[in-house]
Amino acid sequence: MDSLKQQAVDYTLGILPKEEALLFEALVEEDDDAQKHLTDAQDGFAKLSLTAPPSQLGAELRQRVLEQAQPQRDLNPFLESRDICTLRDNFTAFDHRYSGGGVTADISDLSNKSVTSNIEKNYESLIHLLPLVSGDSRAAAGDFSDLQNFLRSHGSYNDLINKTLQHNWSGESQTSRSVLRTTLATLPSLSFFSDRLRDFQPSVADTRRLFYLCRDQLKIMRASFSDLDPSKLVDDEKLRLHGAGLLRSKWWGAEHAYFSSNGKVKCGHFFDGPITERCVEFAEYDANMYCLANLLSPRSSDGEFHFELLKDAVPGCTLAVASAKMSDHHFSTLSAIIDRVALPSNQFTQDQFLWDLIEDSMTQGHQCTSTKELREQKAYGYSRIGSCTYLWFAWPAIPNTQDGADAVTGNPLL
Amino acid sequence: MPVIDNEIWFRIKEGEAAAFAELYDGFAGAMFSLSIEILGDRWEAEEVIQDVFSYLWRKPESFSPKKGKLSSWLLVITRNRSIDRYRSRKRRLDRGESDETLAQKPDPSLIDGAAEATQNDERNHLQHAFGDLPKEQRQVLELSYFKGLNHQEISDHLLLSLGTVKSRIRLGIEKLRNSLATLRNE
Repeated sequence: MDSLKQQAVDYTLGILPKEEALLFEALVEEDDDAQKHLTDAQDGFAKLSLTAPPSQLGAELRQRVLEQAQPQRDLNPFLESRDICTLRDNFTAFDHRYSGGGVTADISDLSNKSVTSNIEKNYESLIHLLPLVSGDSRAAAGDFSDLQNFLRSHGSYNDLINKTLQHNWSGESQTSRSVLRTTLATLPSLSFFSDRLRDFQPSVADTRRLFYLCRDQLKIMRASFSDLDPSKLVDDEKLRLHGAGLLRSKWWGAEHAYFSSNGKVKCGHFFDGPITERCVEFAEYDANMYCLANLLSPRSSDGEFHFELLKDAVPGCTLAVASAKMSDHHFSTLSAIIDRVALPSNQFTQDQFLWDLIEDSMTQGHQCTSTKELREQKAYGYSRIGSCTYLWFAWPAIPNTQDGADAVTGNPLL
Repeated sequence: MPVIDNEIWFRIKEGEAAAFAELYDGFAGAMFSLSIEILGDRWEAEEVIQDVFSYLWRKPESFSPKKGKLSSWLLVITRNRSIDRYRSRKRRLDRGESDETLAQKPDPSLIDGAAEATQNDERNHLQHAFGDLPKEQRQVLELSYFKGLNHQEISDHLLLSLGTVKSRIRLGIEKLRNSLATLRNE
């Protein structure tokens, strides 16, 4: 009897070896004593749980959690579209999977030393900012004084963006692309939230958003310039699965901004499981997601855009889909940007860079130098169904893996 | 413990969003407090809560009334997911990798509103009950439940036999389980 009690305790704690856990589960199905001991163990540990000091939940978390109970969008029209059928017919997984790092340049290769200096200063500043917005910071607990003091002493990150963009970037060299990736993917949104925290009523929700942006920007910067912080880049290059859950936590119910245009993110279908093998690869994936968000955010007709991450829609790859309701005018501008036809004005050059960055990443991810070929295969692209515009990119899936990122216990009760 | 009837699970299983909201309002606070106690990081604790609720909504059949009370199950999976994250973070630090958010700090935003009086009574009672446990039982329970150490690690850390570690956990948890029943019968 004691042995059964012990098994119930160990099972609840998640430390019963896997085979024994399976046997115990089978026993619980048919044995009243095993059931009783499991219930008792769980009740006991539940009471221990309640000795934890109470902490206050934010209203924003409630909103994010309850959004999950809203009906999901019907993606079938998109998934059954000709483009995605073409992708499904053409996509083939390859033996040697790309795992990040190919979009790297050396910061020392930049000929413009003021840009070099800006990038280095920006990195250093974000290294200081990160602990001020982390989950154990004073700002996370509602005391914004340290954070605001830092942001006031630093000035707007927008100045850095403007200084960098005033140079004539073509986006054709690896160095230019690294500069553009570090300037246009995450930084505009980071600038928006840090300005709002500095100048207006600060909030825990904005602090949280700034934390993710800051962390992602640092990783994207390291992945873009190999000599920016070589010791941390070594960590980023280590094998460590990154799951779709990381993206879901970050994007679900988030507010996103691209310069002054901001919108609400809605997340729909997100699979459970890994999407990248290393942090450097995840940084690239992340940058693509930010580029999609940046393209949609200013063009959404209702202030919302949707993200979905699908695993089985196209065998062998994960499919990231961003969509938004959009006017005909905005759609025609977006399609002109993507198809590189004559742009209505220079103001869209930046947006074209965003698409170039995704395209560049696709050539790496698919180990294919021909963007024409990738576009014909529909490895990435855009389409419009009704009033909704879809942007997508397919990324080679990690074969033969079951669990999500960093799964370390059996979590037997799940 | 906030009263969460298993009946709410049947409603969630039927896809009733109002039941999901009811569960969140009644119980997310206890789950969040536990997670932040383990992780010491608000954003990570929020992610755990988001994950657990998302999991329950998408796969309600992962709980079974045969496994006991929904409330106990939710707390235990919150603990397990929090411990997973804690271990993962610790492993990275052990390998010398960077992580800015390991520090375990008490959360300063404590609440003691009148609406929580009953829960606080229970919490105070449980805290006292936990405090009244023999020190050696308290110590192994803390290491096991809140720090996620397995029996062997506790045995190595406290220089105890494995059998002693197991029996202290078992006895300690039995006493705690009985303590609230005592309160309710008083």
